[in-house]
Amino acid sequence: MNGYVESGYVVGLGTLAAYAVTLVARERGARRRLTPTEDSRVDSPEDGPAPAAPVSDEPGSPAAASS
Amino acid sequence: MSLVTTPVGLDSAPPPGAPAESGTSTSARPPAETGRSRSALVLRLVGAVALVGVVATVWLGLWVTPPDQFMGNLVRLLYLHPSIAWVMYVAYGVAFLSSLLYLWPRTRSLRWDKLAGASSEVGVVFTGLTLVTGSIWGRPTWGAWWTWDPLLTTTALLFVLYLGYLAVRRIPGDSEVRARRSAIAALIAFVDVPICYFSVLWWRSLHQAPSVDDPVNGKTYIHGSMAWTLLLSFVSFTLVYVWLLVHRYRLFGLAEREEGEGLALAIEERRAESQVPSR
Repeated sequence: MNGYVESGYVVGLGTLAAYAVTLVARERGARRRLTPTEDSRVDSPEDGPAPAAPVSDEPGSPAAASS
Repeated sequence: MSLVTTPVGLDSAPPPGAPAESGTSTSARPPAETGRSRSALVLRLVGAVALVGVVATVWLGLWVTPPDQFMGNLVRLLYLHPSIAWVMYVAYGVAFLSSLLYLWPRTRSLRWDKLAGASSEVGVVFTGLTLVTGSIWGRPTWGAWWTWDPLLTTTALLFVLYLGYLAVRRIPGDSEVRARRSAIAALIAFVDVPICYFSVLWWRSLHQAPSVDDPVNGKTYIHGSMAWTLLLSFVSFTLVYVWLLVHRYRLFGLAEREEGEGLALAIEERRAESQVPSR
Protein backbone atom coordinates (compact mmCIF):
# COMPACT_ATOMS: atom_id res chain seq x y z
CA MET A 1 0.00 0.00 0.00
CA ASN A 2 2.36 2.72 1.25
CA GLY A 3 5.27 2.29 3.65
CA TYR A 4 4.44 5.56 5.41
CA VAL A 5 0.86 4.52 6.11
CA GLU A 6 1.82 1.17 7.61
CA SER A 7 4.57 2.66 9.74
CA GLY A 8 2.18 5.32 11.02
CA TYR A 9 -0.30 2.69 12.14
CA VAL A 10 2.39 0.45 13.64
CA VAL A 11 3.98 3.29 15.61
CA GLY A 12 0.66 4.75 16.76
CA LEU A 13 -1.12 1.59 17.79
CA GLY A 14 2.05 -0.14 19.00
CA THR A 15 2.89 2.71 21.36
CA LEU A 16 -0.63 2.82 22.76
CA ALA A 17 -0.66 -0.96 23.26
CA ALA A 18 2.73 -0.86 25.01
CA TYR A 19 1.57 1.97 27.27
CA ALA A 20 -1.66 0.12 28.13
CA VAL A 21 0.21 -3.10 28.96
CA THR A 22 2.70 -1.16 31.11
CA LEU A 23 -0.12 0.48 33.05
CA VAL A 24 -1.88 -2.81 33.70
CA ALA A 25 1.37 -4.54 34.71
CA ARG A 26 2.28 -1.74 37.10
CA GLU A 27 -1.22 -1.78 38.56
CA ARG A 28 -1.07 -5.54 39.12
CA GLY A 29 2.39 -5.26 40.67
CA ALA A 30 1.24 -2.56 43.06
CA ARG A 31 -1.87 -4.53 43.98
CA ARG A 32 0.22 -7.65 44.62
CA ARG A 33 2.57 -5.73 46.89
CA LEU A 34 -0.34 -4.31 48.86
CA THR A 35 -2.38 -7.49 49.25
CA PRO A 36 -1.15 -10.05 51.82
CA THR A 37 -0.32 -13.04 49.64
CA GLU A 38 0.61 -16.66 50.00
CA ASP A 39 4.33 -15.85 50.02
CA SER A 40 4.11 -13.54 53.01
CA ARG A 41 2.18 -16.13 55.01
CA VAL A 42 4.49 -19.04 54.21
CA ASP A 43 7.26 -17.10 55.94
CA SER A 44 5.74 -17.80 59.37
CA PRO A 45 6.54 -21.45 60.24
CA GLU A 46 3.56 -22.07 62.54
CA ASP A 47 1.09 -21.39 59.75
CA GLY A 48 2.38 -24.22 57.63
CA PRO A 49 1.82 -24.24 53.90
CA ALA A 50 -0.83 -21.70 53.14
CA PRO A 51 -3.69 -22.56 50.81
CA ALA A 52 -3.47 -21.02 47.39
CA ALA A 53 -5.02 -17.59 47.74
CA PRO A 54 -7.21 -16.59 44.83
CA VAL A 55 -5.43 -13.96 42.79
CA SER A 56 -7.75 -11.02 42.67
CA ASP A 57 -9.04 -10.36 39.22
CA GLU A 58 -7.88 -6.91 38.16
CA PRO A 59 -10.94 -4.81 37.49
CA GLY A 60 -10.94 -3.42 34.03
CA SER A 61 -7.77 -5.07 32.82
CA PRO A 62 -7.74 -6.28 29.23
CA ALA A 63 -6.91 -9.79 30.40
CA ALA A 64 -9.95 -9.76 32.61
CA ALA A 65 -12.02 -8.30 29.83
CA SER A 66 -10.97 -10.98 27.42
CA SER A 67 -11.54 -13.82 29.87
CA MET B 1 -23.17 20.55 54.15
CA SER B 2 -20.04 19.31 52.47
CA LEU B 3 -19.30 20.83 49.10
CA VAL B 4 -16.16 18.84 48.49
CA THR B 5 -16.61 17.01 45.22
CA THR B 6 -14.57 14.13 43.95
CA PRO B 7 -14.31 12.33 40.64
CA VAL B 8 -16.87 9.58 40.59
CA GLY B 9 -16.37 5.97 39.62
CA LEU B 10 -12.58 5.93 39.41
CA ASP B 11 -11.74 4.27 42.71
CA SER B 12 -12.84 0.76 41.98
CA ALA B 13 -9.73 -0.78 43.50
CA PRO B 14 -10.52 -2.92 46.53
CA PRO B 15 -8.71 -2.05 49.75
CA PRO B 16 -5.65 -4.16 50.55
CA GLY B 17 -6.60 -7.43 52.16
CA ALA B 18 -10.16 -7.27 50.93
CA PRO B 19 -11.58 -10.59 49.78
CA ALA B 20 -11.29 -11.35 46.12
CA GLU B 21 -14.38 -10.56 44.13
CA SER B 22 -14.62 -13.91 42.46
CA GLY B 23 -16.79 -16.36 44.30
CA THR B 24 -18.68 -13.73 46.28
CA SER B 25 -22.38 -13.49 45.62
CA THR B 26 -23.60 -10.04 44.67
CA SER B 27 -26.45 -10.11 47.16
CA ALA B 28 -24.07 -10.68 50.07
CA ARG B 29 -21.77 -7.82 49.10
CA PRO B 30 -21.82 -4.51 50.92
CA PRO B 31 -23.05 -1.60 48.78
CA ALA B 32 -19.54 -0.12 48.35
CA GLU B 33 -18.22 -3.38 46.97
CA THR B 34 -21.18 -3.75 44.61
CA GLY B 35 -20.50 -0.22 43.34
CA ARG B 36 -16.84 -1.09 42.81
CA SER B 37 -17.61 -4.23 40.83
CA ARG B 38 -20.15 -2.31 38.76
CA SER B 39 -17.61 0.38 37.86
CA ALA B 40 -15.07 -2.37 37.07
CA LEU B 41 -17.61 -3.92 34.73
CA VAL B 42 -18.23 -0.57 33.05
CA LEU B 43 -14.49 -0.10 32.60
CA ARG B 44 -14.12 -3.55 31.04
CA LEU B 45 -16.97 -2.69 28.71
CA VAL B 46 -15.29 0.61 27.77
CA GLY B 47 -12.03 -1.26 27.13
CA ALA B 48 -13.75 -3.89 24.98
CA VAL B 49 -15.71 -1.32 22.95
CA ALA B 50 -12.55 0.79 22.48
CA LEU B 51 -10.62 -2.25 21.26
CA VAL B 52 -13.35 -3.25 18.81
CA GLY B 53 -13.61 0.36 17.64
CA VAL B 54 -9.88 0.67 17.01
CA VAL B 55 -9.76 -2.66 15.16
CA ALA B 56 -12.74 -1.58 13.03
CA THR B 57 -11.07 1.79 12.34
CA VAL B 58 -7.90 0.05 11.17
CA TRP B 59 -9.87 -2.34 8.97
CA LEU B 60 -12.00 0.42 7.44
CA GLY B 61 -9.11 2.86 7.20
CA LEU B 62 -6.66 0.50 5.54
CA TRP B 63 -8.84 -1.76 3.40
CA VAL B 64 -12.38 -0.47 2.94
CA THR B 65 -12.25 3.29 2.37
CA PRO B 66 -11.17 4.57 -1.06
CA PRO B 67 -7.97 6.54 -1.67
CA ASP B 68 -8.28 10.32 -1.74
CA GLN B 69 -8.25 12.09 -5.12
CA PHE B 70 -5.35 14.33 -4.04
CA MET B 71 -3.51 12.44 -1.31
CA GLY B 72 -4.01 8.93 -2.60
CA ASN B 73 -3.38 6.25 0.02
CA LEU B 74 -1.77 8.74 2.39
CA VAL B 75 -5.26 9.81 3.41
CA ARG B 76 -5.42 6.58 5.42
CA LEU B 77 -3.10 8.14 7.98
CA LEU B 78 -5.75 10.75 8.59
CA TYR B 79 -8.01 8.15 10.23
CA LEU B 80 -5.36 8.02 12.93
CA HIS B 81 -3.58 11.36 13.28
CA PRO B 82 -6.50 13.82 13.82
CA SER B 83 -8.23 11.58 16.37
CA ILE B 84 -5.00 11.18 18.33
CA ALA B 85 -4.58 14.97 18.26
CA TRP B 86 -8.20 15.36 19.41
CA VAL B 87 -7.55 13.10 22.42
CA MET B 88 -4.49 15.19 23.23
CA TYR B 89 -6.70 18.29 23.52
CA VAL B 90 -9.30 16.40 25.56
CA ALA B 91 -6.63 15.10 27.95
CA TYR B 92 -5.19 18.55 28.56
CA GLY B 93 -8.70 19.99 28.92
CA VAL B 94 -9.49 17.43 31.63
CA ALA B 95 -6.17 18.20 33.36
CA PHE B 96 -6.95 21.91 33.23
CA LEU B 97 -10.45 21.52 34.68
CA SER B 98 -9.23 19.12 37.38
CA SER B 99 -6.49 21.53 38.37
CA LEU B 100 -8.99 24.38 38.56
CA LEU B 101 -11.27 22.27 40.74
CA TYR B 102 -8.34 21.44 42.98
CA LEU B 103 -7.37 25.09 43.36
CA TRP B 104 -10.93 26.23 44.06
CA PRO B 105 -11.26 25.91 47.86
CA ARG B 106 -14.84 24.59 47.79
CA THR B 107 -13.98 21.63 45.59
CA ARG B 108 -10.44 20.99 46.79
CA SER B 109 -9.61 17.31 46.91
CA LEU B 110 -6.42 15.39 46.17
CA ARG B 111 -8.47 13.25 43.79
CA TRP B 112 -8.64 16.17 41.37
CA ASP B 113 -4.88 16.41 41.57
CA LYS B 114 -4.51 12.71 40.77
CA LEU B 115 -6.97 13.05 37.89
CA ALA B 116 -4.99 16.00 36.49
CA GLY B 117 -1.75 14.03 36.76
CA ALA B 118 -3.23 10.95 35.12
CA SER B 119 -4.81 12.92 32.28
CA SER B 120 -1.62 14.86 31.64
CA GLU B 121 0.48 11.72 31.41
CA VAL B 122 -1.94 10.15 28.93
CA GLY B 123 -1.99 13.50 27.11
CA VAL B 124 1.80 13.47 26.80
CA VAL B 125 1.68 10.01 25.22
CA PHE B 126 -0.93 11.22 22.72
CA THR B 127 1.05 14.41 22.02
CA GLY B 128 4.14 12.35 21.21
CA LEU B 129 2.04 10.23 18.89
CA THR B 130 0.49 13.32 17.28
CA LEU B 131 3.98 14.60 16.48
CA VAL B 132 5.24 11.24 15.19
CA THR B 133 2.20 10.34 13.07
CA GLY B 134 2.06 13.91 11.74
CA SER B 135 5.71 13.70 10.83
CA ILE B 136 5.19 10.39 9.02
CA TRP B 137 2.35 11.98 7.06
CA GLY B 138 4.33 15.19 6.43
CA ARG B 139 7.39 13.52 4.90
CA PRO B 140 5.68 12.31 1.68
CA THR B 141 3.19 15.21 1.63
CA TRP B 142 5.42 18.22 2.34
CA GLY B 143 8.77 16.59 1.61
CA ALA B 144 10.09 17.11 5.13
CA TRP B 145 9.86 15.21 8.42
CA TRP B 146 9.71 18.45 10.33
CA THR B 147 9.10 22.10 9.62
CA TRP B 148 8.83 25.05 12.01
CA ASP B 149 5.20 25.57 11.14
CA PRO B 150 3.15 27.34 13.86
CA LEU B 151 1.00 24.27 14.60
CA LEU B 152 3.92 21.87 14.72
CA THR B 153 5.97 24.22 16.85
CA THR B 154 3.21 24.91 19.35
CA THR B 155 2.45 21.16 19.54
CA ALA B 156 6.11 20.43 20.27
CA LEU B 157 6.01 23.18 22.89
CA LEU B 158 2.92 21.54 24.39
CA PHE B 159 4.82 18.26 24.63
CA VAL B 160 7.72 19.93 26.45
CA LEU B 161 5.43 21.96 28.74
CA TYR B 162 3.54 18.89 29.92
CA LEU B 163 6.74 16.89 30.33
CA GLY B 164 7.77 19.75 32.60
CA TYR B 165 4.46 19.46 34.41
CA LEU B 166 5.06 15.73 34.98
CA ALA B 167 8.55 16.58 36.29
CA VAL B 168 7.04 19.13 38.69
CA ARG B 169 4.72 16.43 40.00
CA ARG B 170 7.74 14.33 40.94
CA ILE B 171 9.37 17.00 43.10
CA PRO B 172 9.15 15.61 46.63
CA GLY B 173 7.16 17.45 49.24
CA ASP B 174 3.97 17.54 51.25
CA SER B 175 1.08 16.19 49.15
CA GLU B 176 -0.98 19.39 49.48
CA VAL B 177 1.93 21.64 48.54
CA ARG B 178 2.85 19.36 45.65
CA ALA B 179 -0.74 19.29 44.42
CA ARG B 180 -1.04 23.09 44.54
CA ARG B 181 2.27 23.52 42.75
CA SER B 182 1.25 20.99 40.07
CA ALA B 183 -2.17 22.57 39.59
CA ILE B 184 -0.60 25.98 38.96
CA ALA B 185 1.88 24.39 36.52
CA ALA B 186 -1.03 22.71 34.69
CA LEU B 187 -2.85 26.03 34.33
CA ILE B 188 0.29 27.68 32.93
CA ALA B 189 0.91 24.82 30.49
CA PHE B 190 -2.70 24.94 29.27
CA VAL B 191 -2.18 28.47 27.91
CA ASP B 192 -0.50 26.85 24.89
CA VAL B 193 -3.50 24.63 24.08
CA PRO B 194 -5.76 27.30 22.46
CA ILE B 195 -2.70 28.84 20.78
CA CYS B 196 -1.90 25.44 19.30
CA TYR B 197 -5.48 24.78 18.18
CA PHE B 198 -6.07 28.17 16.58
CA SER B 199 -2.56 28.61 15.17
CA VAL B 200 -3.68 27.34 11.74
CA LEU B 201 -6.28 30.13 11.64
CA TRP B 202 -4.22 32.91 13.21
CA TRP B 203 -1.01 32.52 11.22
CA ARG B 204 -0.03 31.48 7.73
CA SER B 205 0.54 27.78 8.14
CA LEU B 206 1.72 24.88 6.05
CA HIS B 207 -0.63 22.66 8.02
CA GLN B 208 -4.15 22.66 6.69
CA ALA B 209 -6.92 24.41 8.63
CA PRO B 210 -9.86 22.33 9.95
CA SER B 211 -11.11 20.80 6.72
CA VAL B 212 -13.73 18.18 7.56
CA ASP B 213 -16.57 20.65 7.53
CA ASP B 214 -17.22 24.34 7.22
CA PRO B 215 -19.91 25.31 9.71
CA VAL B 216 -19.97 28.92 8.48
CA ASN B 217 -20.98 27.95 4.95
CA GLY B 218 -22.76 24.74 5.99
CA LYS B 219 -20.53 22.53 3.85
CA THR B 220 -19.03 19.12 4.57
CA TYR B 221 -15.92 18.14 2.67
CA ILE B 222 -15.80 14.47 3.58
CA HIS B 223 -18.44 11.92 2.72
CA GLY B 224 -19.54 8.32 2.89
CA SER B 225 -17.27 5.64 4.28
CA MET B 226 -14.45 8.14 4.82
CA ALA B 227 -16.62 10.31 7.09
CA TRP B 228 -17.92 7.33 9.08
CA THR B 229 -14.44 5.90 9.52
CA LEU B 230 -13.15 9.23 10.76
CA LEU B 231 -16.06 9.52 13.20
CA LEU B 232 -15.50 5.97 14.45
CA SER B 233 -11.83 6.77 14.92
CA PHE B 234 -12.63 9.82 17.06
CA VAL B 235 -15.04 7.83 19.25
CA SER B 236 -12.71 4.82 19.60
CA PHE B 237 -9.65 6.83 20.56
CA THR B 238 -11.69 8.83 23.05
CA LEU B 239 -12.71 5.55 24.68
CA VAL B 240 -9.09 4.40 24.66
CA TYR B 241 -8.26 7.64 26.48
CA VAL B 242 -10.95 7.00 29.10
CA TRP B 243 -9.67 3.46 29.68
CA LEU B 244 -6.06 4.59 30.02
CA LEU B 245 -7.05 7.51 32.23
CA VAL B 246 -8.87 5.32 34.75
CA HIS B 247 -5.98 2.86 34.93
CA ARG B 248 -3.43 5.62 35.40
CA TYR B 249 -5.61 7.26 38.04
CA ARG B 250 -5.84 3.99 39.96
CA LEU B 251 -2.10 3.58 39.77
CA PHE B 252 -1.71 6.94 41.49
CA GLY B 253 -4.02 5.73 44.25
CA LEU B 254 -2.13 2.46 44.68
CA ALA B 255 1.23 4.25 44.79
CA GLU B 256 -0.14 6.61 47.41
CA ARG B 257 -1.36 3.66 49.48
CA GLU B 258 1.98 1.91 49.14
CA GLU B 259 3.73 5.06 50.29
CA GLY B 260 1.38 5.28 53.28
CA GLU B 261 1.88 1.64 54.22
CA GLY B 262 5.65 1.98 53.92
CA LEU B 263 5.57 4.97 56.23
CA ALA B 264 3.35 3.18 58.76
CA LEU B 265 5.69 0.18 58.71
CA ALA B 266 8.73 2.39 59.26
CA ILE B 267 7.03 4.09 62.23
CA GLU B 268 6.09 0.69 63.66
CA GLU B 269 9.70 -0.55 63.33
CA ARG B 270 11.04 2.57 65.02
CA ARG B 271 8.57 2.11 67.86
CA ALA B 272 9.55 -1.53 68.26
CA GLU B 273 13.22 -0.56 68.30
CA SER B 274 12.61 2.01 71.03
CA GLN B 275 10.79 -0.57 73.17
CA VAL B 276 13.72 -3.04 73.17
CA PRO B 277 15.37 -2.77 76.63
CA SER B 278 18.90 -1.53 76.34
CA ARG B 279 21.61 -3.73 77.97
